[in-house]
Amino acid sequence: MTWRRSALVAVPVVLLLSTSIASCTAPRPLELTGAKGARTEELLPPPAPPDSYIGAQLCRACHPAIAATFAQTKMGRLFLNAPRNAKEGHACETCHGPGKAHMQAGGGRGKGGMITFARNDPTPVAVRNAICLDCHAKGDRLFWAGSAHASSDVACTSCHRVMENVSHANNLAKVNEIETCGTCHLQKRAQQMRSSHMPLREGKLSCSSCHNPHGTVSQALLKESSPNETCYTCHAEKRGPFLWEHVPVPENCMNCHEPHGTNHEKLLKVAMPRLCQQCHVLPGHPSAPYGTDPPSLRFTVARQCANCHATIHGSNHPAGRFFAR
Amino acid sequence: MGARAGAWVPVIVALAVVTTVGPAAAQIPLGPVNLEGDVEAGVRLLPAAPSQAGRQKFEEYRDLPEGAFLGNLRMRIFTSDEQDSLEATGSKWGRQDQEFGVTLGRLGFWNLGFSWDEIPHLLSTTVRMLETEAARGVFTLPTPRPPLSAANFGRRLDEVGLRWDTGKFSFRLTPTPDLELRADYTRIEKHGDRPIGMAFGGPGANLLETLQPIDETIHDLRLKANWAHDRWQLQLGYALSIFDNGHRLVTADNPCFGLPVAVTAAPPGCGPDAAGAQPGGGVSLAPPNQAHTWSVAGGVNLPMNTRISGSVAYGLRFQNAGFLSQTVNPALTSPLLALPARSLDGTVATTSVSLQAVTRPLAPLTLTAKYRYYDYNDVTQQLQFAGRAVNDRLTVAENVVALRPDYTKQNADLDAKWRVGGLLAVTLGTGWERWDRNEKVREVPTTDEYFARAVVDLTPAEWLTAHLTYRPSARRIDAYDTWAHYLSLHVDPVSPTTLAGNQSPLLRKYDEGERDRQRLDLLLSIAPGDKLGGTLSAGWKSDDYLRSPLGLQRATSWSAGADVTFVPFERLSIVAGYVREWIFEKQRSRSGTDATSDWISDNADTVDTAHVGLKAVLSERVDWTLGASYSTATGTVQTRNAGGVTPPPAVSAKRVPAFVDSLLRLDAGLRYRFREDWTAGLAYAYETFGQHDWRSDTLNPFVPAVGSSVFLGTNPHGYDAHVLTMTLGYRFR
Repeated sequence: MTWRRSALVAVPVVLLLSTSIASCTAPRPLELTGAKGARTEELLPPPAPPDSYIGAQLCRACHPAIAATFAQTKMGRLFLNAPRNAKEGHACETCHGPGKAHMQAGGGRGKGGMITFARNDPTPVAVRNAICLDCHAKGDRLFWAGSAHASSDVACTSCHRVMENVSHANNLAKVNEIETCGTCHLQKRAQQMRSSHMPLREGKLSCSSCHNPHGTVSQALLKESSPNETCYTCHAEKRGPFLWEHVPVPENCMNCHEPHGTNHEKLLKVAMPRLCQQCHVLPGHPSAPYGTDPPSLRFTVARQCANCHATIHGSNHPAGRFFAR
Repeated sequence: MGARAGAWVPVIVALAVVTTVGPAAAQIPLGPVNLEGDVEAGVRLLPAAPSQAGRQKFEEYRDLPEGAFLGNLRMRIFTSDEQDSLEATGSKWGRQDQEFGVTLGRLGFWNLGFSWDEIPHLLSTTVRMLETEAARGVFTLPTPRPPLSAANFGRRLDEVGLRWDTGKFSFRLTPTPDLELRADYTRIEKHGDRPIGMAFGGPGANLLETLQPIDETIHDLRLKANWAHDRWQLQLGYALSIFDNGHRLVTADNPCFGLPVAVTAAPPGCGPDAAGAQPGGGVSLAPPNQAHTWSVAGGVNLPMNTRISGSVAYGLRFQNAGFLSQTVNPALTSPLLALPARSLDGTVATTSVSLQAVTRPLAPLTLTAKYRYYDYNDVTQQLQFAGRAVNDRLTVAENVVALRPDYTKQNADLDAKWRVGGLLAVTLGTGWERWDRNEKVREVPTTDEYFARAVVDLTPAEWLTAHLTYRPSARRIDAYDTWAHYLSLHVDPVSPTTLAGNQSPLLRKYDEGERDRQRLDLLLSIAPGDKLGGTLSAGWKSDDYLRSPLGLQRATSWSAGADVTFVPFERLSIVAGYVREWIFEKQRSRSGTDATSDWISDNADTVDTAHVGLKAVLSERVDWTLGASYSTATGTVQTRNAGGVTPPPAVSAKRVPAFVDSLLRLDAGLRYRFREDWTAGLAYAYETFGQHDWRSDTLNPFVPAVGSSVFLGTNPHGYDAHVLTMTLGYRFR
């Protein structure tokens, strides 16, 4: 497999070299619509002269229905009623850009350089997102840049709808998180329908109970630093440390469990005893090919291996070396 | 599950609210403030309710009794300038799954919130047990013990389960748009019972399934400060998590104690393996623990469209609950059972570091580099034990130390994405992940996994985008020491014969062994017009475990699905979706000492999930909804002996029937708006759940063939349920 390792090492080197060369030889300024300069925040459209703004009253005159639903949203209430600064005071034009040219052009979709945030908006996703991040860069969005969704050019407006209250909270594009995330993650949405599941479809948990879709420091967009620390948020009894550790447990709960749902009890990836037998191969009871025959039943019914190994996540009992106490 | 008188209280309160505010057409002025909101209450009927055995799945995480209910209540009181508001929400009041919340705040300045959420988790409705719970977690049987077969006529417990009560307080202060301070406190209280196993005899013999008392509390406090400037952001955080358990031990009487030892396992005798059965035993429950985490995170925007962000978090976990004694059996005394310490004094330090850089040196090029480091360092002193009480029954001498697991995980990724106009973007990347584990605790000290990544984003038309990802990886190890853990555990020399009986040297554990992985994912997003949109998704993953004569050898899975939304005209929308998943794992094991006793098991799960829904506005006043969802899963475990050799019956492979379950739900609803803000709703739902699991379909507490063991006899059944709901709603805004 040496060639494979070599190839895997060679790829980043080639990428770095080619990038460096390209960086030295190519012109720097961005050629994005409305963008100036070369700084990240300057993905934002350039500041417009004060007289290019027309105010929310004029927007409302032509878009009364949209303005009415927007006024019911949290952002609408803030922008229209209690703006904290001049930027928020531009209301509709804070995000869509100054409206004077649009109005003078007689209106119409995309006329006058308005940013519509619609699917067919020619404004690059990065620019559209920069407009949102101009105010929402802190908190949960700190690691947006470089995140899985940012890298895939997911627009903020793919998941959020700020112009009306579609969801109960967080201005989601659909009625809840499962539907919103499930737009692309079909398999994960389907998994919550399995017989062994956490209470997602009952509305007691949501995707963001464990994940931060705006980017995190951990893999799989988990909110905590590791899979286990995410699980321990609610299952702190499994955190330990225990006197006797079942050593794969502190490493990764997902060695055995599939948190999105399975058709095996306790969200197990494979039915016991086969799951345990994937690692425990030794003469004696752990490795017999149990089935439906009577001698097998004590290992295959009820709690299966955990009939005896009840403290399989770790035991603090002095006699719990085999997790039976 | 008849109507409960108490259930009417929230409905009456809700209706009183409605009556008080009256049929106004707009938000209601109340002096200096206004009121808006909505309320919905009604009556639920179950013309055909699930059987007692079917209730376990029907009400697994919910409470659906007949009678009056409060569907939803939301009230917002706010000042005329919309700056200050108080919002109260609630649903399912008076039920086991009720939830409500209150938030108070000034828009964009501060916010104070409280929420309460109850989650029932019904685990069984078919438990039968002879034991009496003399005190919480103490299960007793009369002496002399009744025959084991009497367990099949034990008292029935209508419900075994637990409930999570989660209360949350949150406070957020944004003194300036650049600064945000947050404090969140969450308290999760779990109470109820959960089945637990307890062994009294040798492996798999003389065991009892009983109940574990759950009275656990988790306190979680998080403090966070965020600063955000144009060029940089900074985040400081502290998190405290405390776990407290009201019980340390569950004890139970041994149903075999004192019963005659029969040569056969026929009732009422205990099997031969119950000879010398002790009166009872005890299993420990999770000890209290706590964890602290301090974190600093930040990001800075640099020239050349570059952003660097990172975080450092340091955590400490403590567990110092006093040790239980080696046994609850007072007759079992030996100097070997002396404890080396009164408690573990356990301490684990975790360190997490993350660095991420993203740059766009050219308009079409984005480079991303990531590095993560996670260190789990168990600094607890290793305790040495001279002996052990085995299942409260006998004492064995063994000089062992309680090993402390440590590991460090690092990974790095480097991606380059090149955009070709608006049509195409290609990403090439590579990655590396290393695990360094304590070589005395685990078999493999170091694993390195190398990744490659190719992503194609294609937008051939405004209405079509495709996202194709291919991610191969190769995991390699430096060495595999089968007996590293066992040899480190034992202070005294271990003979080769003992070692051979401990673990097969041919085994490669799947979380550490060498592996080649191929992964392919496709996402197609289609929107040919405003009326039609859809998603097509497919994924394939194949894991090949190399040089693994025994253990997991291959794991393959694929999924494919589609989701379509069709809005032919403004008043009608239709959604439909279907996903098929297939998961396969092949494992090989050896139940004896030579290859003639090898067996192979092919484990496969096939899951189909479909849904369809329709929403129609029939008139200005009438909405109509229809929905259906269906999910069915089939799990098979096909075990065969390898090599065509027929081994002795005790180790011959057996086929087992498939596990099958299916859930169908049909919904239909009509909503009628009358007057200005009133709605009346009529909804019907039909749910049917079916399950075939040979392990539980006919399980009794006492199974003669199992001999000396007694279970709870949990055998969940399928159910059919018809649910009819009538609601009345009012919106005051």
